[in-house]
Amino acid sequence: MNKIGIIFRREYLSRIRNKSFIVMTLIGPFLLALFYGGMIWVGTEAVNSTEDGGPKKVTITGQYPGLTSVGPSESFAFQNTGNDLESTKALLNEGSIDVILDIQDLGQGSLDSVTAYSTQSLSLRQERELRSHLELQLHRNQLQSMGLDPLALDSLRQGVELHCQTLSDTGDAQNSATTLKSGVGFVMAFLIYLFIFLYGSMVMRGALEEKTNRIVEVIISSVRPFELMMGKILGVAAVGLTQFLVWIAMGAGLITGLSRFFGPQMQQGLQNTQSMQGSGSQALQTSISLWDQFHSLPFGKIIFVFVLFFLGGYLLYSSLFAAIGAAASQDTDVQSFMLPVSLPLVFGLLIAQASVIQAPHGSLATWFSYIPLTSPIVMVVRSPFDVSWLEIAGSAILLYSTFIAMVYLAAKIYRIGLLKYGKKPTWKDLYLWIRQSN
Amino acid sequence: MTILELDSVSKTYGSQVVSKEISMRIEPGTIHGLLGPNGAGKTTLLRMMATITKPDSGHICFLGEPLVDVHAHQMGYMPEERGLYKRMSVVDQLLFFAEIRGLSRSEAQGEIRQWMHRLQMTDWINSSSTQGIKNRVKQSKKLEELSKGMAQKLQFLCTIIHKPKLLILDEPFSGFDPVNADLIRDIILDLKNQGTAVVFSTHRMDNIESLCDDITLINQGAPLFQGKTMEVRRSQFAGHYDLAIDEDQVEPEAPQRWLQHSRLVRAFKNPEGNWVHRFQCDAEFSSQHLLKLGSEAGRIVHFAEHIPSIHDIFVQSVQSQNHE
Repeated sequence: MNKIGIIFRREYLSRIRNKSFIVMTLIGPFLLALFYGGMIWVGTEAVNSTEDGGPKKVTITGQYPGLTSVGPSESFAFQNTGNDLESTKALLNEGSIDVILDIQDLGQGSLDSVTAYSTQSLSLRQERELRSHLELQLHRNQLQSMGLDPLALDSLRQGVELHCQTLSDTGDAQNSATTLKSGVGFVMAFLIYLFIFLYGSMVMRGALEEKTNRIVEVIISSVRPFELMMGKILGVAAVGLTQFLVWIAMGAGLITGLSRFFGPQMQQGLQNTQSMQGSGSQALQTSISLWDQFHSLPFGKIIFVFVLFFLGGYLLYSSLFAAIGAAASQDTDVQSFMLPVSLPLVFGLLIAQASVIQAPHGSLATWFSYIPLTSPIVMVVRSPFDVSWLEIAGSAILLYSTFIAMVYLAAKIYRIGLLKYGKKPTWKDLYLWIRQSN
Repeated sequence: MTILELDSVSKTYGSQVVSKEISMRIEPGTIHGLLGPNGAGKTTLLRMMATITKPDSGHICFLGEPLVDVHAHQMGYMPEERGLYKRMSVVDQLLFFAEIRGLSRSEAQGEIRQWMHRLQMTDWINSSSTQGIKNRVKQSKKLEELSKGMAQKLQFLCTIIHKPKLLILDEPFSGFDPVNADLIRDIILDLKNQGTAVVFSTHRMDNIESLCDDITLINQGAPLFQGKTMEVRRSQFAGHYDLAIDEDQVEPEAPQRWLQHSRLVRAFKNPEGNWVHRFQCDAEFSSQHLLKLGSEAGRIVHFAEHIPSIHDIFVQSVQSQNHE
């Protein structure tokens, strides 16, 4: 067996035999589910908590002809007492009311002069609601003053359901499914992000541990630093893939088990719903449409791009993480190097959020899907949006070429850094190590 | 054939020259001691021999060929700072190190069994297992369960498990208790007798004199003395002779007279309790003159040339060079 293979096997076996790995593999998905469940619960609770205690009492002071009376909104109940601002402030301090809305007529037809007084700061959502509710009231009042019935006007509005289709070269029309594509792209990008950080830092800790244990000097007397680094990177990648496969198997087993157990009951329930509401049910239509869109996605291409950039991204970043681990002498040394190395990855995720969804073929999204440090995230998010094979190939060649160059540089840092102890290395030191011949 | 040959090897880190024009030959079946104060460049030199770092100038040849990484398979290197994988079992570690040095798994298993027996390490594996070393892997102790001395023994075993032609040891005896130090010393001598070349650095002069066929003393990266241990000692012979007379049969005024003798270097009591007087001899005042002087004074119980020990040579040479 070659040296990389021996290192690979040691890394893989020692990690998967570890009790903490076994425990994390078994309970990891449940912890993740608990985490997301918790987030959803907190989100829901936050919305519900604003509704506790009923709508806030708002008293309108001042004078503005267009807003003599305001109807209630979701969180506010309005009243106009006709009292002046100073006397109403006393009521606010007593706690009889929650908010004073002082509206002054500046004679410009503008609501810029509205001031809201409250003893406790209003939330962003409440501020937004107040503003939009006043605007709506003003709009309706103006319509009425023009002799128009606002309700009649509202009823004239008609919803339009837009079905976006993309035409292929052969003229076949396909569902655009933009939302679904964005969702699929983001899930994949997030998985890559998670994997790189989780397992890249495992590579880094492994290199640091070997250095602090002083075992590395013995190893590199028999194994070239490049072989040690590659064996470690690939071994940890195999550990991650094993963990993913176990999770997929657990997920598949869970779904199969649930569908066998609850499947017949769900089928019966669906039939009952259909017979009661007819096939035109809104929810059912949405589900069928989503299912159709899901099937229309180019899965072969998406999975290929995912695997290609997933591996390329992991290899590129883990070689950098390995070099950091080899350069550092202790855990605290790592922090200053971690930030600049991990920043492009975080930036890639931001670009994907800000730009790819708005314009998947725009220049910003396109360029960042070529830059090797961001392409593992950005190209994967773009991949469901009909990116050409030429673009994918070009970006992949750039990514893998950068990986090879980076491994060469990282191996030089690794080779010299492994034998340097004590003083915390600086960026200048790293540069000198790269330039040093051996 | 010479196992390792260094020819004018130099190495610089930044502005600091850590090895300066060092040449040496290490022959099969010999032990070469590398001496020098802290920071003299011993570890750097050993690392260059072990292919970990490369010289900036000069050449290193292994069995007549320019030294390259692949030669490391035929070397065993034990650094001064020891280290093994804490959570890995004893047998797993041995298998790993044997394999990265080119042994097949089955060869490694045979060697492990034999060496563990010799180094009295068999109780580190569960003896109830009788199904071969492969099944014992899971049952052997982990490094974190071993004492420091046991871990040192394991480290030494990891260094020699693949039967290297050249053994490079940086301070091999540090950390061992006397019993285990003797055990390691015996193994080193055995390996030497089997033809293995050994080079090691140490601060313990007793090891140098009793173990080493050749020595190199380096200071500030450059060699001060080199050669056969006895030849190096002889080369530093300054014409000093030690003379001791039986305390009960000595002419009463002789000791006092000798203390005023112009050729007296020093006087001291030896472990047997006799006064020893050390004289400087040369062509004018020969050893024969000294012997005659002694025999006239009483019964001579000790008369010998004083050849400086490696320890004396080390201390004097390093101090005088550092004062220059």
